[in-house]
Amino acid sequence: MDKQSITLTVNGRNIEFKAEPRKLLSDALREDCHLTGTHVGCEHGVCGACTVLVDGRPARACLTYAIQMEGHEISTIESVGEHGALSVLQQAMHELHGLQCGFCTPGIVMTFEAFLRDHPEPTEEQIRDALSGNLCRCTGYQNIVAAIQLAAQRMRGEPVGGPR
Amino acid sequence: MKPAAFDYLRPASIEEALEQLARLGPDAKVIAGGQSLGPMMNMRLAAPAQLIDLNDLTELAYVREAGEWIEIGALTRHCQVAQSPLVRKFCPLLEQAAQTIGHYAIRQRGTMGGSLAHADPAAQLALVAITLGARLKLVRTGSHRWVEAADFFVSAMTTVLAPDELVLSVQFPKAAAQEAASFRMFNRRHGDYAIVAVAATVALAGERVAALRLGVSGVAPMPRALRELAQSFCGRTPDEQWVAQLAAGARDAVSPEDDGRISALYRRELTQSLVADAVGRALAKLQK
Amino acid sequence: MAQDKFRHIGSHVPRKEDERLLTGRGRYIDDIAVPGALHACFVRSPHAHARIVSIDAQPALDMPGVVAVVTGKDLAAWTTRHRMAPPIDGLQAVEMDTMPTDKARFQGDPVACVIAQDRYLAEDAAEQVAVTYEVLPAVTSMWQALEPASPRVDETLPSNLLSHQHAEHGEVASQMQNAHRVVESVFSQHRQTHLPIETRGCIAVWDEGRQHLTFHVGTQVPHPYRTTLAGRLRLSESQVTVISPDVGGGFGQKIALYREELAVAAVARHLKRPVRWREDRMENLLASSQAREDHCRTRAAVDAQGRVLALELEIVEDFGAYSFYPGNYLARVVAMILTGPYKIQNYSYDVKVVLSNKVGNGPMRAPMSVTSWVMEGTMDAIARSLQLDPVAVRRTNMIEPGDLPYTMATGEVLADITPRETMEAALAAIDYEDFRARQRSARERGVYLGLGICTVVESTTYGSKFYKAAGIPGSGHEAAWVRIEPSGVVNASCGLGATGQGYETALSNAVAEGLGVDPSCVQIQLGHTDVAPYGMGSRGARGGTAGGGTLYLCALDARAKVLAIAAQRLGLASCESLRMRDGRVEQQFDSQWRDSGMGLVDVARTAYLDPLALPQGMGPGLEFHKTYEPPPMTYSNSTHVCEVRVDANTGAIAFDRYLVAEDCGTVLSPVVVEGQQHGAIAMGLSGSLFEHVEYDANGQNLSGSLAEYLVATAHELPHFEIISMHTPNKATPAGIKGMAEGGVMGAIGAVTNAVNDAIAPFGVTATRQPLTPMYLRDLMRGKQPD
Repeated sequence: MDKQSITLTVNGRNIEFKAEPRKLLSDALREDCHLTGTHVGCEHGVCGACTVLVDGRPARACLTYAIQMEGHEISTIESVGEHGALSVLQQAMHELHGLQCGFCTPGIVMTFEAFLRDHPEPTEEQIRDALSGNLCRCTGYQNIVAAIQLAAQRMRGEPVGGPR
Repeated sequence: MKPAAFDYLRPASIEEALEQLARLGPDAKVIAGGQSLGPMMNMRLAAPAQLIDLNDLTELAYVREAGEWIEIGALTRHCQVAQSPLVRKFCPLLEQAAQTIGHYAIRQRGTMGGSLAHADPAAQLALVAITLGARLKLVRTGSHRWVEAADFFVSAMTTVLAPDELVLSVQFPKAAAQEAASFRMFNRRHGDYAIVAVAATVALAGERVAALRLGVSGVAPMPRALRELAQSFCGRTPDEQWVAQLAAGARDAVSPEDDGRISALYRRELTQSLVADAVGRALAKLQK
Repeated sequence: MAQDKFRHIGSHVPRKEDERLLTGRGRYIDDIAVPGALHACFVRSPHAHARIVSIDAQPALDMPGVVAVVTGKDLAAWTTRHRMAPPIDGLQAVEMDTMPTDKARFQGDPVACVIAQDRYLAEDAAEQVAVTYEVLPAVTSMWQALEPASPRVDETLPSNLLSHQHAEHGEVASQMQNAHRVVESVFSQHRQTHLPIETRGCIAVWDEGRQHLTFHVGTQVPHPYRTTLAGRLRLSESQVTVISPDVGGGFGQKIALYREELAVAAVARHLKRPVRWREDRMENLLASSQAREDHCRTRAAVDAQGRVLALELEIVEDFGAYSFYPGNYLARVVAMILTGPYKIQNYSYDVKVVLSNKVGNGPMRAPMSVTSWVMEGTMDAIARSLQLDPVAVRRTNMIEPGDLPYTMATGEVLADITPRETMEAALAAIDYEDFRARQRSARERGVYLGLGICTVVESTTYGSKFYKAAGIPGSGHEAAWVRIEPSGVVNASCGLGATGQGYETALSNAVAEGLGVDPSCVQIQLGHTDVAPYGMGSRGARGGTAGGGTLYLCALDARAKVLAIAAQRLGLASCESLRMRDGRVEQQFDSQWRDSGMGLVDVARTAYLDPLALPQGMGPGLEFHKTYEPPPMTYSNSTHVCEVRVDANTGAIAFDRYLVAEDCGTVLSPVVVEGQQHGAIAMGLSGSLFEHVEYDANGQNLSGSLAEYLVATAHELPHFEIISMHTPNKATPAGIKGMAEGGVMGAIGAVTNAVNDAIAPFGVTATRQPLTPMYLRDLMRGKQPD
């Protein structure tokens, strides 16, 4: 019930703070770790906006309590690419207009940074299957799918151009 | 939507988890993947006083052979089941079903034990367990018991698990040599719970059906295995008429209820459609 | 193509916004840290209609971390009531408390607000606020609302009829009487909600020393919002600053000043402490404005060739319990533009808007979304009735290029639109004849393919003249400023509110084009009311025409002054031989353009630091301001074509193909426009097939989570093929027409028409949405296809 001392390993750093056991990982990342790139869209595991990586696997931060994550490694969007040095996937999203308001975007990037490691040659069907766990209200998904395909090609080292 | 406050416990062993459960009683809930309990707690539909986190019990995440069975530990994640070479080889129905659970991210966290204990009427794993005649190993401090899947589920969201009991593992019978399986479901959107789902396995002896298993979810508070119907269709040649009659028989064998949005009649029709589809696909695999 | 005469307008530029958004370094409302801010959480009525008997907040006040609990009575002392009374015939005036004091009118109506140290504690405390209600009978359908004896949602009104407009143009009755046939059709659209992935939220920071409110809120209309907020708080407009940060989608839900937001502002001022609120998703589904829910009926008098001789339209809209927006607005637009691309001069409409015990309605991307479905569905119904080809019926009635400008029966003038061209282009691309052949052979195999056509004439930018004629108070103008800094970089601003449309990129193109610089040296500032000029904001699809147009014109003014200074510096009598190109002043020698040796930075230095060197009578500096009044109405058009297959056993719909031929005139950024089209179509298809806000007979909202309110995922939506055409509008700057909503209209019509084409062999027609598998199966069950 009372606040406890919790230490999380986020993006390679240990961060210690005090919070109740019920504090959601999504809130702890945003408020206690000051990493606001992970967004909250529904708090019941449907929209996928809060997706982070836990030990390299995608997980919804709104369905995890921060205290559960002691001893695990969390990666958030802030660990992927940076100003002037986007990841291959982020670069493809940028070139193919795979985002509009950007609110769902970090969750999608985190999901697919993991997915593309597992599935270097995904079909469109497989991409749409994996993407179905992330809701986007702006783009209609088409450019996101195209960006993921482009990123996969580039990660495989195939020479490809950008947008038409 | 923030959950109500709770005390958090993190047992390092099964024994410790069971001791905590026994001590704390029905106000305590266990959490595994959190994909079902998490939303309920955030909406304050569930507000346990204590939460016992089972995720450190990594020894319960496994898939292994156990004689005529495939044994899966309670903490095995859905993605592990869906990608396991053992499951693919020995229990293809389970592989197919596990691939359809939720979405990619959900399958990373949701667990076998968690899904079965939660007992959602539309859940894929319960349907497979009941259809195949799986058995669950339940443990409490100092003892364990085996329960057939058909006996494990009492009603929607309700099982025979006592407040101080945990699911330890589940054993699914290995598929027979000449057996094909098909899992088909109908939902509004990809990844949603099924409105109706059908699990089917077929084995042939020469030209005739030697063994047939058929299970349907979405037509009752728990998934149903249509054993008598399946039995009565064995021994015949599975031509188009056989499939159609079987599907019609399934439609007549189930008694779903109207629920406002979806009529009982519609669920019966889906049952018929999906049985024809599933059995048809299973036969096609055998006839290759 | 007209696009080619522009250098920057129409260029493919990956967006400036992307880097921060892709790397999680955007700044949305909830990301803004305000030390010491308290958190608000609303206590909401569990009943659809109930008198508030008493509120006992003491149990909540006793809880840890709780600072205050306020009720409607407190807020009534700190704020004015909201009066919605536009001078429109047939529209009732209504008033609204900041928070209900007397009764709750929908499940989710806020009745108290808990202020605590964090949201967790606030939610704990909200559960403990004891409210006693006297439950009243609820009105939960439009038909019930129309019954004379139904309970009254607003007791100051004589009935639940909020608005009633009707008009007749030409001669309708006699045409109906003498027609070869009268074809009647029904279109029932269901209740939906905007569902931006970022819910509502705000932060109120009250400076007691300066007596000034800084209000952070995601809004599409920063200045109008500020004016309203100041008025409701009885503050002067000088005492309020509204700052809109990055916003995770609006779609019309982030325009009005909502009661929760006003309550947060008032409480912050009262407590003299910053207060913040983040709506959670359940609240968003329960209590944020909703949309659509209209029932339409048409009667078309036709001759034997399918020519429409007269058309009658009836609409009833379920508006919910409160007027966050004027009740006549949405339905009025539908009635006004319904005839769309068709030559129909004998036309009448009757529009009724009723109140019910549901959340109040607001405009949702394409508030007139039902329009094209109704008109195009009527065309298909005519075709089915007369056994004519639906394309032939459309060709018979459609506006031809020679008919333009065309004055609709309602007085709306259509100019520079190309519905016939987009329809023919779409049909050619889908290979219409081939489809019909495939459809015939598929039917023989018991496979049901369908093709739906929907031509959209989209009203994008509303001018002041339109508002005045419609009796709606308000202006259609937009404002902009452009400032060239001493270093030669360019800052610019207008009154739009960004919610994901890529304004920073598209509007940079408009400024770059007008001024003659590269878009990369233009920075667009939006959303901060101390910075942005007073404009009407982002609604409908006015961003391109109104925002882009004003900036373009302002930048032209800037260019003129820059060239005048350059001419002076170069010793030229006029700037006739000068032009701006990529920030350089170029001079023409014979027919060759050469760099003059001066760049924008040189001109700027003169303007700011050496004003004595400026031309006689010219003031220093390079700062420009412009307002622009668009034409009364600007239209763009498109034709959507959708191919589906319907499973006769399950009623499930699968998409085989979706394409749209669109003509939105000059586009600022093709990349952005394409993205908007995808998003609009996606919203239309998602709404038609999956989304449904359902209330039961007691007014309980059954769609309280995303497990019940279904939105299309990547797996449900087809690939969108877009054929772009660009006929500029002759009356707008650079020929911009705007778009953003037509996709919703087209998708709704195209998919429904396609489904009806598929199930036509069963002799049935879908007349309502959502097109669930259960509904389609119900239609087909027991019917033998011919």
